[in-house]
Order: sequence, then structure tokens, then C-alpha cells
Amino acid sequence: MRHSITSDDIRAPEMAKAIESCVHCGFCLAACPTYASLGEEMNSPRGRIVLMKNVLEARLPAAEAQEYIDRCLGCMACVPACPSGVAYGDLLVSYRAMQEKQRQRPPLDAIARRLIRETLPYPRRFRLAARAGKLGAALGAALPAPFAAMLNLLPGSLPPAMPLPPLLPAQGEKRGKVAILLGCVQQALAPNINYAAAQVLAANGIEVHIPPRQSCCGSILLHVGAEADARELARRNFQAMPADVDAIITTAAGCGSGIDDYALLFKGQPDSAEAADFSQKVLDFSAYLAAVGLRAPLGFSQERRVVYQDACHLLHAQGLQREPRTLLRQIPNLRLLPIADAGMCCGSAGTYNIDQPAIAAELGGRKAESILAAAPDAVVSGNIGCITQLRQQFTSRGEALPVLHIAELLQQAYSHSAASS
Amino acid sequence: MTTQSKPRAVAELQDFVRGNTLVHARGNGSKSALHPAAADIAIADLSLMRGIVEYQPAEFTLSARAGSPIAELKAALAAEGQYLPFDPLLPERATIGGTVAANLSGSRRYRYGGLRDFILGASVVDGGGRAYTVGGKVVKNAAGFDLSKFLVGSLGQYAIMTELTFKVFPDAPHFSSLRLRYQTLDAALAAIFFLNQSIFELDALDLLPAADGWSLLARLGGGADALPPRLERIRAALQSETAPQAAEEVADTARLWQPLRQLDAAFVAKVVLPPKRIPALERGISGCQRRYSCGGNIAWVATEDIAALDRALAALGLAGLCLQGDCEKPLLGKAPESILSARVKAALDPDGKLV
Amino acid sequence: MKNAHPLLQALEALYPPERLLTRDAQLLTYESDALTAFHSKPAAAVIPISEAEVIETVRLCHQLAVPFVARGSGTSLSGGSLPIADGLLVALNRLNRIKSIDPEQRIAVVEPGVVNLHITHAAAPYGLYYAPDPSSQSICTIGGNIAFNSGGAHCLKYGMTSNHVLGMKVVLADGAVTEFGSDSLDGCGVGPDLIGLFVGSEGLFGIALEITVRLLPQPERYRTLLAAYDDLGKAGDAVSRVVASGMLPGAIEIMDRLAIQAAEAAVQAGYPDAEALLIVELEGEAPQVEAEFAQLQAMMRASGAFELRSARDEAERARIWKGRKGAFSAVGRLSPDYIVQDGVVPRSRLGEALTRIKALKTKHQLEVANVFHAGDGNLHPLILYDGRQPGALEKAEALAGEILALCIKLGGSITGEHGVGMEKRDYMPAMFSEQELDIMQALRRAIDPKEIANRGKMFPSGEAPALQQRGMHPLERQGVISRE
Repeated sequence: MRHSITSDDIRAPEMAKAIESCVHCGFCLAACPTYASLGEEMNSPRGRIVLMKNVLEARLPAAEAQEYIDRCLGCMACVPACPSGVAYGDLLVSYRAMQEKQRQRPPLDAIARRLIRETLPYPRRFRLAARAGKLGAALGAALPAPFAAMLNLLPGSLPPAMPLPPLLPAQGEKRGKVAILLGCVQQALAPNINYAAAQVLAANGIEVHIPPRQSCCGSILLHVGAEADARELARRNFQAMPADVDAIITTAAGCGSGIDDYALLFKGQPDSAEAADFSQKVLDFSAYLAAVGLRAPLGFSQERRVVYQDACHLLHAQGLQREPRTLLRQIPNLRLLPIADAGMCCGSAGTYNIDQPAIAAELGGRKAESILAAAPDAVVSGNIGCITQLRQQFTSRGEALPVLHIAELLQQAYSHSAASS
Repeated sequence: MTTQSKPRAVAELQDFVRGNTLVHARGNGSKSALHPAAADIAIADLSLMRGIVEYQPAEFTLSARAGSPIAELKAALAAEGQYLPFDPLLPERATIGGTVAANLSGSRRYRYGGLRDFILGASVVDGGGRAYTVGGKVVKNAAGFDLSKFLVGSLGQYAIMTELTFKVFPDAPHFSSLRLRYQTLDAALAAIFFLNQSIFELDALDLLPAADGWSLLARLGGGADALPPRLERIRAALQSETAPQAAEEVADTARLWQPLRQLDAAFVAKVVLPPKRIPALERGISGCQRRYSCGGNIAWVATEDIAALDRALAALGLAGLCLQGDCEKPLLGKAPESILSARVKAALDPDGKLV
Repeated sequence: MKNAHPLLQALEALYPPERLLTRDAQLLTYESDALTAFHSKPAAAVIPISEAEVIETVRLCHQLAVPFVARGSGTSLSGGSLPIADGLLVALNRLNRIKSIDPEQRIAVVEPGVVNLHITHAAAPYGLYYAPDPSSQSICTIGGNIAFNSGGAHCLKYGMTSNHVLGMKVVLADGAVTEFGSDSLDGCGVGPDLIGLFVGSEGLFGIALEITVRLLPQPERYRTLLAAYDDLGKAGDAVSRVVASGMLPGAIEIMDRLAIQAAEAAVQAGYPDAEALLIVELEGEAPQVEAEFAQLQAMMRASGAFELRSARDEAERARIWKGRKGAFSAVGRLSPDYIVQDGVVPRSRLGEALTRIKALKTKHQLEVANVFHAGDGNLHPLILYDGRQPGALEKAEALAGEILALCIKLGGSITGEHGVGMEKRDYMPAMFSEQELDIMQALRRAIDPKEIANRGKMFPSGEAPALQQRGMHPLERQGVISRE
């Protein structure tokens, strides 16, 4: 599309490039969860591109477009669907960061945002806030919808913290050396994921480092437009992570794709090269392990029927479709079941559950139904957001279907095999 | 006394239309029921406007004057291994113009589609005496309104066709036919429904009453090597899935696939229906000779009592067209759509000349 | 149309606020379809959820003489669903129910907002599918397919949209509701074929409310062959060989180097590096297809292809088609702007047409990517230009005009499947005589006396905003048309 963007934002060239390459063909509509749900152009990828273009051209006040931009899940399903190669992620992330600086939110919303900014990145504080939230859950109905959504996502009680040692030696012949980026929300909600990941890696002959001084990757902060804070957190990790590892492993899809956005986050910063090096090193757990291959023995004594739930930030943002499935297919006695609309977002998407509870609930419901239709014994995903969303969906339907992180399932497969041999 | 003209050129036809108040077009008169006999109607006989105008086998297109006998077109196409896939119903005497005007596709329409699916364009003289072309001459064209399809079934009442262009296809080199016997209509219909959802690509599929139940005739066309195994597969599938009383290969003759050949009564009519309405029609027309063509989607009915057929079809909400016989009103049963048709009539034949 | 306009007041009584769009941010996103060279903001857009709402909306528009445009997913490449400035836009996306499927009789009854591919999804459990496959089939709606008689790569054998519609219920532009056709495979069967007239009328007659389509059984076997050539002409000759052989492939497609590059960049279809790529797909019963495929391979080898590849499984076949179907949009990677053409030439003159297009692009110093349905002689030259350069659009248009003039001269058509819409309306006089256009206009006025349905489309010099055009029309300059 032709445009006349005059914005002097530092990322205006990236935004302009994305807009330019859009030919408005509409192929993205089929992939977009909000379009599937609402059926309106302004709630579609190409519609949002038009809106952002008009705002950047100063033809439309940002406030008028905001509701539709906010509704975007950032699931990036439109990116692989786009034949023109529009870098929608670059546009959206840059635009949101730019707008966030200028926007005035309604008071209650602002409180919720502050809560996100000041708690989510810090596992300890988050644990505290979650406990406080549990107290508030009794008052659920009296609270505004976004709050209620946030509280609903929290489990009845937080699991105990599972501290990891700074170094887990490789078992057997050493095949590699990695560091684990623990992340924030996930470490509070489900510390077992990183624990399982570290065990599985070690069992596969990988030396695992878990630097204690690391921090949140900053991705959530970038999402809500707090760029400087996001960079500050990222820089802590540049310092904390050892340089001589094969890869920096993340078990949270959002961290992986968020770190891919460092090029935008650090544009024009003196340490942009360091940021690029760092983000190049970051790999999702499933991608790394699929590349090195699983070591025997592992597996289940009886058939386990498993649905793999694609996290948008793995499937669309990082292109990881085959890798997790390759891992699962290597597990003896595991049957991988296909589901309808596998590529469609479950509605979790970062802080979306908090910002857009109604659409998130609808998408979560659709996903739960298509999974249940396959009648699995367990659901596996690579992202804490999906896991939390699906658990809540199944609980509200009275279904006791376990939802696990792929690292947890692998851990089970190893311990099961050890127990039975 | 009836005015009659046998124009050889479009200009002559234009003059004739302009010079008369009521005009009826006809070709060789192979469908006796479609020609009104009133004295005040001038007859434009197009039988002299005949001949192939352009035939390019490599283009899959054929243009011919409206008065061309079907037999002539079929022969020219067959010489190049091609055919009209809608399978004109009356290959002996009928003209191509009359076949289009009455919308008469034969049994082989089952494979690729009917007349409307293969007409690409036409030259016409409308009720205002204006001569022009509609549609195009290439196999694909999306420019302008597609009036050429509208002419299919129009009975010459909106514009008189003078030249027609069709999409043609390569014909299969070999054919085999299979006759299946079923004790009941339901069993025969179940076989049709099974075939409809199967991978078998039949050239034609007709259903007709037999002495001891129903016969289902199935035809396959294709390469000589692939044909026998294909026939065997379909026979085996039908035997295991639909339990026919008999399933025998029969000689594939032109006569076998000529749906009107055994229909012999004062009136012969076409009835359009979905196959699931066949049992209802059977109850409504008991005693008539009939054959269900095109997977049971078209009925050919012969009757001595056209008024009774008309009433039966009206009661069932089905539409029909009487082709043969001396009948007052060839349109039978459910009245055709009128709102949109009337508006087209107003544009093409504002004086209501063409009947 | 101001807020005080009686139509808006009446619509407020008919639609809840969330389905009556009047705000700038909402309407801006409906300004263009997939031809962004045109944009125009409607006064309002409505999103009906029932047949009754559509009928009432059309009646109101007729009563108050306000022009309207019905729209599905807005994927038209000819500007066919471009809104009318100050008119009403009727977005049919939520009339998207598949009302029934009868696998035994192989028919489905659908609403106009149903997405093309969703019919196939719904029919798949019965081994059936909906055949017309426009490249945008994952999102384009049946309503839009009806308006433009959409085709696709697989139309050679089973035809376009019109050939797959058996019955319709429509509201005409003045609010009259009528039904034609039937559940029989013979469709209209008796009486004029109104389906054939309505399908492809570009929204000028009214809005389809309910459509009965025919379904086909999924072929038992597909065999897809890619043949790579070092010369576009050789690929064209190979098509003639296929046609002369008496085979009837499901699809015959050609892409040239530039199109191959764009598609490859977009979907990594695994296309060979070549000047031209021919895709031939056979479909049908396995014994027949396998026999023909052996023959086809031998024929392609003899045609001078330097490489032959056949899809080994469904995934490979899907990838080949994904590259082909994404080719238009993929050109967005090569150039900020492009014009897609849709001309048709007699198949036997394909080679000649391609040679002339090559000469034209050299003359105009523009890049042209060629993608075409070779089996139908339907060309899709994509003319690349940079709209920010002064005069670039005019240059591209001039070239487009010469290509269309060429198609007409070779005995073809200005559009095979995209329709006339906004884009080609000024070329209509080059293809049709004044009298023929008059007849079409008379027909249109007989059906829509106030000319409110999709006003400005198809006919030359309508009232809708045109592509900026200065000076003479390219066809005028060549003496093909004149306005006296």
C-alpha cells in the first residue's frame, strides 16, 4: 500500500516498510482469531495495518484506532499466512511501543497496567501479588472485568518454589552446553517446567547452567510499551548469561519471540550489536532438543493419546511446527492426535487474557472444544500462557484433562521408562 | 394465413422480426409441442441458417449457425476425437438452436454438466430486431452480463439465436456399460446415492423401470487399458455395497444411451427434479412410461394425458416441459420464475413480439 | 449522507449500534478491496445477520435512492467491491451459515457470507468438495464468487462458479425477492437460465441471499507434474501438446521467472530455477490417471523440459499449489505496487501473446511477472511499478491498456475471471459495441431502475471515483476506442 508516513519515531522506517509490502489481498483474514470471532475489517490484520497507517499519516487520531489495535492478540498467525511477507510483528510492536508513551488510560486500567509492570517481571513480587489476588477473588464480581480475568487465571494456590542449582552436570557422554533463561510469570506459576527442562537436558548429556543473577527478558514490558524498563531487564541478562554456551534455552514461547524483537527494542541503542548476539543465541527448548535428538530409554508402558497445542509464539512467531512434534514422535507408545484449526490462537496471548477477557474466553472455548473432540489423555504445549488458559477452560467444563509443558511430558517419559525397566 | 420466412442471413431475419407483430422461431421442428399454431404468429424458420462457422479443436471451441443439425456438429467433432459434453438429447433431426432454446441435454450430461455449462456465446436478433452478440468466443470470459446462458431454456421468447459458440472436450476413446437390477426403487436410489459419493467417474447414469423392478444403467469412458479394471472395481463395489440382483456388462450402443428411444405415447415431456423426489413423482404419474436420466436429476416422461401430468407436477411443485405432442401449453407444473424474467423481457423484447 | 439522512435514521431502527458502522476508524478499513489503487469511504456500513435485514436494507436504499455495495471478504482484484462514496456498504460476512449439506444428492445450501473453502471443509467428511478454487479461496465468500463468477486454477475441467450453482434466492435492487433454479443437477432446467444471468452480474442486479451449490466427489488420485523450461515459449508449446493429446487435465498453469521467484520467496514451494514453469495436474480414477500420467511425463520430456518433478504426496502437492496461489500477493515482495491483468486469448495464440507482452514490457521499461491459467488461455500479467515515482502509475496503466488491446485483437477477452469492476470498465467499449453496451445498460435499468446496486462498476464512466487518470485513455491513444 502506498503511504505518506512522516512520523519521526525511531522505528518509523520498519513500520513504513511493513505497510508498503501489504497489498491488502486479504489472505491474512483466514488466519486471524479476532476476525474469525468478530468478522469485521477493523478487527483483522489488514484492517489494523490500514488503521496504523492512517494514524502514522496523521489522518486518524490514535485514540480512535486504539480499541482495534488493542484487540490484536499479537499471535502472529497472519505472518506465515501472508504471501507478501509483511512484517506485521515489527509494525505492531513498534506501533504499540510508540503509542504507549502517548496514551492516557482510564484510571482502573492504569492500575491494572501498573500491577503488570511492577509485578509480572519479578517472580517473588508476582507470588506475593497472586496471594493477595487470591484474597480478592472472593470479591471477584465486584471487580472490573480485566481484574477478574487476571484472577481467574491464577491457580487456587501457587506451587512451592523449586530452586535450581547454578549448574547441572551432563549425564553420560557430554553432547552440549546450555544456559536456561528462567523467565518470570512461568517461574512463579509453574516452577516445575524449568526444573523438568533442566532434568531432561541433563539426561540427554547436556551441561545446564542456571545463572542466579538473571532476570525477566522484558518481553511483557515491551508488550505494554514500557521500553526503557524492558531494555534494562534485557541488559541484566546480557551480563548474567555465560558467553561460552551453545544456546540460551527458554521454555516460554513468549520469551523466545519477545527476544526476537530485540532488534526493534534496541534500535539506535549503543548496545544493539550485543542485543543481536544475545537474541541469536536464544533457542526454544523444543528446537534445541529436536536438533540434538532424544536419548533412549524413554517412553510409556501404555499408549498415551496426546494433543500438541501450538503456541502462537512458537508456531507463527518462531516457525516451530515440526520440532516439538519430532520430539513427541520419538517417545515410544505416544500417539499424537491431530485437532481442527490447530494454528488458531487459544486466546491467551501474553496479557490478552487481562486486556480482552471476552474474546480470550471465546477463543479459549473453541480451542478446548476442538481438543476435547480428539479425546486425548493429555494436552502438551510449549507455553505457560496456553497451559494456564487451557487448564482454566477444562476446569470450567468439569474436565480433568492434564495440560503439561512438553518438558514435563518428556520428564515423565524418562521417569516412566526408568521405573518400568 | 401464417406468414413464414426462411432467412439465410441475419439481416433478413432482422427485417422479418421488425415487420411482424408476433414472431416465433423454429428450426427443424423436432419438438412438436413447442410450436404454436395461431394464425397471427409469423414463423421464422432458421433451418437454412446452418453450418459450422468456426471450429478449432486446439481451442476446445466450436461456433455454428443456430439452424445447424446436431448430427452435423457431432460428426465434425468426432472427426477430431471431440464431443459436446452436454450430449444433445435429440441427435437425429434437432438443430443446435432448438436444443439450446429448449435446454435439452442427454444422459452424458452427468459427467461434466449440461448445456448451460458449455455455452460460451451467441449471436442473436432480439424482439426489437437488433442484432448483436452476447458472451464470448473463448473458453473463459467474465466481461459483461452473461446473456448466453440466459438463452438456454428461453424458448426463443427473448431473442432469436442465429449463431452459438460452445466449449467442447476431447471425448473418451472407449466406453463400457453396466446394467444393474434392483428389486425396489429405494434400493436403486440407494445405489445412485452410493455412486454420488464414490470415487467413480461415470460418463452417464440412468434409472429406468424394468419388468421385475428397476434397472440402473452406468457408463464409463476412458482409455482402453484402464477401462476393464475400472469396470471391475465399480461392479465389485456396487455388489458389496448395494446388493443388486444382477450386475452385468451390456453392449455399449448409442441406442442404449438415447433416453427417449422407448418412450412412445402422445406426449413426451422433460421433468426437472432432485433424485429424492423420484418416489413422489412415481406416485403422481403411475402408468406413464419414464426414464430417469443424469443420476435421477431429469425425468423423461411419456403420457397420453398431458393435463394429468401438468396437474401432478403442479401438486408436487416440480417444473416440466412438454416436447412432443399437440399441446396447448408446453410449460408444465410449477410456473417458472417470473419477476426477473419479465424484466429481461422488457429489456430485450419490449413489444412482446417473440413467442 | 449526513447523520440526519433518512437512510441512517431508518438503519438505526434496523441495526444495533455494533452492526451499524459510521465511525472513521471503522469505515477506513472498508475503503478498498484487494485493488488498493482505488479507495472510497462509504457513509456507513451495516453488518446484517439475517436475510430479512438484507431485504429491508435494500428496500430502504431503493426507496431513498441511496446506492449500495454488497461485500464479502473484499478480495476483488478488479475493485468490484469498492464502496460508493456516501453510499451504503452491506458487509455479508456474518451471513455465513452452511444451512444444509445433502451428500447423497451432492448439494449444499449456503448463505452468501460463507467462505469458499469452508464448503469444502464441511463436505470433506462425505468425500465431496466444492470445485471452484479462486486463489483466495481460504477467505473469499460465495456471495463475491457469485457476483464475479470466480474461477480458479481448476476451472478447465469443471468450470467456474456459475457451473456449480443450482439454485438461488436473491433480493433484486428494488427489494423484490425472487427464487430460481432447483435442487436438481439440472438447475433451472425449464425456463431461461437465470442462474447464468445472475452469476457474474457484478452485484448490479441485487444480492444473493441463499445459494444451492453442487458438490463433486473428491478425485481418487491427483498427479501433479512440474516441468521447468529455459524458455517461456517452450512451456506454451508444451500446453498445445497436452491439449492435442486428448487428455483433459484438471489444471494447466504457467509461471515465468519473476513469478517463480516471488512465489518461492513467499512459500518455499521448491520450484526449480527456470525461465518458465508448467504445472499440469491430472485427477480422477487411479487406473485412468496413472495411465495418463505416464503418457504425460513422456510428452513433457519430449517438449524440451530440462527438469520434471512430480509431487510424491499430498503435502508436496499442497506446497506446489500454495506457491502458485500465493503468487499475486507474493509479488508484493518484489514491488511496492502492481496491477494484475486478467485477459484471455485463444489458447493457440498464447505463445504469440507472450512474445508481444515481452516486447511491450521492454518498450515501457517495466517489469512484468506472468502467471496464467494456460489451459484456458487466461493470462495474469502482473505489472510492477512504484506508485511513489511520478508518472509510474500512468506508465503501468498504459502498458496494461496495451495488453488488454492485444487480448481483444487476438480474439479474446479483457477479463477471464476477475470481472470488470472498477478497473476495466473503461475498456468495455473496446470489447463490446455501443449497441451491446446499450443492451446491457437497458437490462440493468430494467432490473435496477434507480441504478443503485454497485453503481459505477462495469459500465464505462460511472460515477464512482476512478483511478486517477490524466489525459487520454491508453486505448484511446492507440485508436482502439474513441469518445465522440
